Amino acid sequence: MGIVQKIFYFHVPSAYAMYLGAAACFVGSLGYLLRPTDVRDALARAGAEIAVVFGAIVLTTGPLWAAKAWGYYWTWDPRLTTSLLSVLIYVAYMVLRAFGGDGTGERRFAAALGVLGAANLPIIHFSVQKWSGQHPTVVTGRGGGLQHPDMKLALGLAFVAFTCFVVALLWARVRLGVAEHRLARAEEDAIDLGLDTRSEA
Amino acid sequence: MRNLLLEPVTPSAQPETASPPDRATAFQPVQGGGEHRNGAMLMVEAYVVLWVVLMAWLLLLWRRQRGLVQRLDDLERTIDRAAEKAARPASGA
Repeated sequence: MGIVQKIFYFHVPSAYAMYLGAAACFVGSLGYLLRPTDVRDALARAGAEIAVVFGAIVLTTGPLWAAKAWGYYWTWDPRLTTSLLSVLIYVAYMVLRAFGGDGTGERRFAAALGVLGAANLPIIHFSVQKWSGQHPTVVTGRGGGLQHPDMKLALGLAFVAFTCFVVALLWARVRLGVAEHRLARAEEDAIDLGLDTRSEA
Repeated sequence: MRNLLLEPVTPSAQPETASPPDRATAFQPVQGGGEHRNGAMLMVEAYVVLWVVLMAWLLLLWRRQRGLVQRLDDLERTIDRAAEKAARPASGA
């Protein structure tokens, strides 16, 4: 396959990072539905953004690799289709949060979407093994296509690097989300106290 | 010219005998596939996509944080003005 195979070392970790973001969105959303707090809402929103960002990377780098490996940029393969569906779900979450307002009802609706969206993750993961298609199963318990130990080392290091990267991004984004919530409440309090002449949004 | 972007999966475009374990360990070329591109250029494009998407998101986060800082500055100014107004009648009495 040649040098294009190197895409593997950030295509697969990007998919893993998308899973991490989606899992964070699920945890935050479920926690928010059980007991609403700003941190849980911020975690859900941060997880959805990370899922979209890394999902976009997966859905772009994959077809670039496929152009060489398969001769086509895209096929409606189960893995590709379910991955696209997952990204669209989290894009819908972000659009809802961006344009649907920031009230309690809107947050709960988005949290429900965040919980349901996670149901697609095991479907993506097992789609290759259960259904026929073009996408290979590389990382399996039996070793799959990682024949050379250097490949395993490189992929393992990539997974570690992307894990640390996603955790750092989540932390930074959650802090930003919590700060936004606190500031919005402070602005509302200022209006209620008559300190600010602007009306409430 | 064939449309390489959206090509439906057809039986002729798939290896007919490849099971999932076979696909995991062997390169299975598509039969009747389209024109192949330069692999090195594709890899470079993939790296560019990775960096552009990540940098774009970080830029959006930076702009969001800057907006937050501006709102915070506005709020602090509002509070300072209110505090001055509250202090003036007491000093003028």
